[in-house]
Amino acid sequence: MHAIQQQYWAVRDYLSPVLKESKFKEHGRITPEEFVAAGDFLAYKFPVWTWEKGDISKARDYLPTDKQYLVTRGVPCLRRATSLAYTDADEDAERLLSFGDTSATGNEADEWVETHAGRKPTLDSAANPGEIDDIPDLDGDHESDVASAIGNLSISASTTGATVGDTPDLDDIPDMEEEDLEEEDEAIAAPKAKGIPSSGVLDVSQVEVAKGNLLQVRTYDVMITYDKYYQTPRIWLIGYDENGTPLTPPQIFQDVSADHALKTVTIEAFPHSATLQAASVHPCKHASVMKKVIERMNAGVVEEQLAQRKYAGGASPKDTKENKKKWGFGRKSGGKDDKPVEDEEADGMRVDFYLVVFLKFIASIVPTIEVDSTTAF
Amino acid sequence: MPVVQFTPFSSLVQPAFWHDLTRMKIDVLQLSDEEVPVIGSYTTGRSITDRETGQEIPLGCNLAVGGEAFQKSSQLPAFSVAASGIFKNYNTIEDFKASDKTAFFNQASEKIWDSIVTKKDTSLLNQFLLITFADLKKYRYYYWFSFPAFASKPSWEISENGWKAAAEELSPKQLTSVYNQLHEQTRPFFLVRLSEDGAEVAGVEEYDEFFANVAPASRTVGFIDPSAMAENPGWPLRNLLAYLRATHAADSSSVRVLCWRDSELPSAGKPWRSRFAIVTSPAAADPTAKPSAVGWEKNPAGKLAPRMADLAPMMDPTRLADQAV
Repeated sequence: MHAIQQQYWAVRDYLSPVLKESKFKEHGRITPEEFVAAGDFLAYKFPVWTWEKGDISKARDYLPTDKQYLVTRGVPCLRRATSLAYTDADEDAERLLSFGDTSATGNEADEWVETHAGRKPTLDSAANPGEIDDIPDLDGDHESDVASAIGNLSISASTTGATVGDTPDLDDIPDMEEEDLEEEDEAIAAPKAKGIPSSGVLDVSQVEVAKGNLLQVRTYDVMITYDKYYQTPRIWLIGYDENGTPLTPPQIFQDVSADHALKTVTIEAFPHSATLQAASVHPCKHASVMKKVIERMNAGVVEEQLAQRKYAGGASPKDTKENKKKWGFGRKSGGKDDKPVEDEEADGMRVDFYLVVFLKFIASIVPTIEVDSTTAF
Repeated sequence: MPVVQFTPFSSLVQPAFWHDLTRMKIDVLQLSDEEVPVIGSYTTGRSITDRETGQEIPLGCNLAVGGEAFQKSSQLPAFSVAASGIFKNYNTIEDFKASDKTAFFNQASEKIWDSIVTKKDTSLLNQFLLITFADLKKYRYYYWFSFPAFASKPSWEISENGWKAAAEELSPKQLTSVYNQLHEQTRPFFLVRLSEDGAEVAGVEEYDEFFANVAPASRTVGFIDPSAMAENPGWPLRNLLAYLRATHAADSSSVRVLCWRDSELPSAGKPWRSRFAIVTSPAAADPTAKPSAVGWEKNPAGKLAPRMADLAPMMDPTRLADQAV
């Protein structure tokens, strides 16, 4: 059934026309050209993002061959989203975060609300470490039970040979050169779990807290592709636990806010690889959400640009410069965007900014994965 | 004086690598278990600020192997360096278990040592080994990495003060200059020549010419440091120090080390993250005698045993169907 569905999606994707007209402000959708422009901007401004060409045979012809999708690797995820579960006690724990420099115009359109501010992690502390064991196993059968246990533990003494299935376990591999390795122990830094150096980045008082977290620091490879059917970017996640072992779908869903796990976030075939599967946020609602966010931001930007023009007439070079600095970072591409501000109507938010906003939106779906490296803006 | 402790590499295998291995195994390697070159990469050590507690949490010292590992060349972003590897896939779990890992390891470490002593070449200093057994029907991959490193005898030592921020030793101008040159051309290991208004960077092979007119007390060697631990430099430094001791014995009793960890210029108010220290060591009796080497990766339980990646949840069609909505 699933295979048929995926075939159907593939055909639908193939048949749907490439969006030609720029309409991102009207309905939140973007053209492939705009996706590339926004991606270029993101990769330029935040070098953790890079373009990939992916599997050549899967290349989309409406995108440049060397700019098929964006990727950032090793995005840290310190806590599980399940530990962010919202309770009544958190109701008032919100604080306004100023987005950019609001003092220039005094408007507050750029403020974001951070919820759960100052809330202590409850589930995910050293005192309550048993979370991983509580994964609801979606598959249910015994075989996969064991498999996921092994996935977590890898080969360790605690997994007995009988449970691994047909494959003989590897416990009896002779430990190699034990003596030899023993003597050079002095030059190996102690593994993280055994103790964190109590100086430098972490000080003593923090070690206790850190211990609980460090054991569960997961990392994610995050990809952004262009979805031709929905005409929006689409996000893909591949996760690893702290040992570099790939996460299973149930584990990935722990990092997705409860509203979205298994509903909008599912495991699907990654479009730029022949075989790879990854967790993905389904893009059916992206356009409408992006439209709302863009509208809201656009109002602020237009207001600011108008104010800027007013100032520009009134010989206040300092203000103009500041404003330019704030919203003018899309300018690197030069060319059409570089028209003098005085000559054009206030055109609001440029499409270059699209993916930066998109990441902020994605951050609300996967609150503990630090996909949004753009908080500096 | 305390002994310098290095953060070992930990392997990070992207699922794309296992997918590509499956393809390689079926289409290219078939029943061959010959050694195959692979490419891995590592980048500067990173840490993340925990938004809830405000503390800096170091991330792992990873050597990543991805889907393009079997391709000859791949372009890497700045501050990422490629590490060549020797890959060997066994056809059966019995072969995998019975393989002579010691011989495999010794052969590789001898080759690395040979490249140091005879060719004075640094390109093999971060070489790694990888043996695998792929259970393609069950989507399980058994693997074991090794990151050969020469154990120095006597050990390298560091003063009680330990590692300090590079900004305490180098001026912001000098750090920026190093940053720019590394951004232009990222080298895993490099030499730094400091001057009043900047710094010059060169490859380690040019040691004699580059440091010809530089006092030993201001000769600095640097490397791209994958570790984010404040007091522990990353694994590649071990072989770099072994290299210096073998090829430049006269200078190597005291080495000024720059652990480069900045992959972007620090934004306003943020410190540079690179570390600096002077490490010392009494001269070895015979600098060109091959020291013992170590480096098999331990499994998550801390034992010397292979690891396993179980990709069934992400590859097995029947299990994927269960996830689908």
